[in-house]
Amino acid sequence: MNEDYLWDKSGQPDPQIQELEEILGTLRYQPKPLVIPRGLAVSRRRNYFPLLAIAATVLLALLAAGVWVQMRNNSKSQPQQAKVPPAVDEKKIPSPALAITEPTPVNKPIVRERTFAANNKRRNRTASPSLGKREQEEALAAKEQLMLALRLASEKLNLAHRKTQNTTPAQIKNQHRIG
Amino acid sequence: MKSLFQIKMVLLLIVATGFVARAQDSRIQMGSLDHLAAKASQTVDVNIDGRLMAIAAKALSDHDADEKQVKKLVAGIKGIYVKSFEFDSDGQYSAADIESIRTQLRAPGWSRLVNVTSKKEGVIEVYLLLNGEQIGGLAVLSTDDKELTVVNIVGPVDLEKLAKLEGQLGIPELGIEAKPKTKNDEQ
Repeated sequence: MNEDYLWDKSGQPDPQIQELEEILGTLRYQPKPLVIPRGLAVSRRRNYFPLLAIAATVLLALLAAGVWVQMRNNSKSQPQQAKVPPAVDEKKIPSPALAITEPTPVNKPIVRERTFAANNKRRNRTASPSLGKREQEEALAAKEQLMLALRLASEKLNLAHRKTQNTTPAQIKNQHRIG
Repeated sequence: MKSLFQIKMVLLLIVATGFVARAQDSRIQMGSLDHLAAKASQTVDVNIDGRLMAIAAKALSDHDADEKQVKKLVAGIKGIYVKSFEFDSDGQYSAADIESIRTQLRAPGWSRLVNVTSKKEGVIEVYLLLNGEQIGGLAVLSTDDKELTVVNIVGPVDLEKLAKLEGQLGIPELGIEAKPKTKNDEQ
């Protein structure tokens, strides 16, 4: 028996070996293309990194916003140091319904608020402390107007009274009911 | 029962509306005088409505005697309106301007209490709006050659107390009066 055949298929083959070759040859590797069955689901490994990154960013943003809001609230609720307001120029106090005007040379009236006497200043500072600063200013302005209006009304009434005292009956035309 | 309640509510509404209408009646419209501001050398324009009156009342002290007096006086008052114009020369306002005010004061309810006419010192008229025996409003119309003043108080007012206020409020003279006060006048 030539054993070379077993090594490199050279020389004379043994009939038994040939028979074995034929039997086992059916199991030889047959090259053919890979066929994947249609119903086979391919499981892929998901990449969660972008989602996690977005979630982390949103979380950080919310956290930062929360801290900022809290800091802002804290700064608001902090008791403010009492500030002594600068001496308020009476001329600057807005007087919504009062206007004492004098026309300019071109007859365009400019609003000029009057400064009230110093003896009125003490009275003007008696607005209720429970009022806010703005309300207090408004109240003081309203009070000034009220005082002015009452004084004018009082003055005119007294003027009428004086005139009735100092005039002849002929000058007092009538005191009868009109309506 | 329910309908009775509704009727009561409607009646209450009608009565309340009547009161409001009455209170509004004593308000004089002075807008027709606004054009005089351009001609006037000095204008006083005070408009204190109910809201401002309440605010002003808050600013009035209870500790100051004068302010306490004012607070009592204005307690029922719903508004005070003043327009006063002072002119440099005569004839700056017309009879129609005065008539626009007088027309309103001829409405039912208004009574002319005083009307003094003087060639030198002009005219001063005092009107009262009477709701029964109660004063519901006051109007003063004062005119002379160089001045036109209208004062309107809406609501009940004590004339005696109001007249006494002059000189007590610590408010300086505005120079609105054409004639300065003399010692005799003050006495």
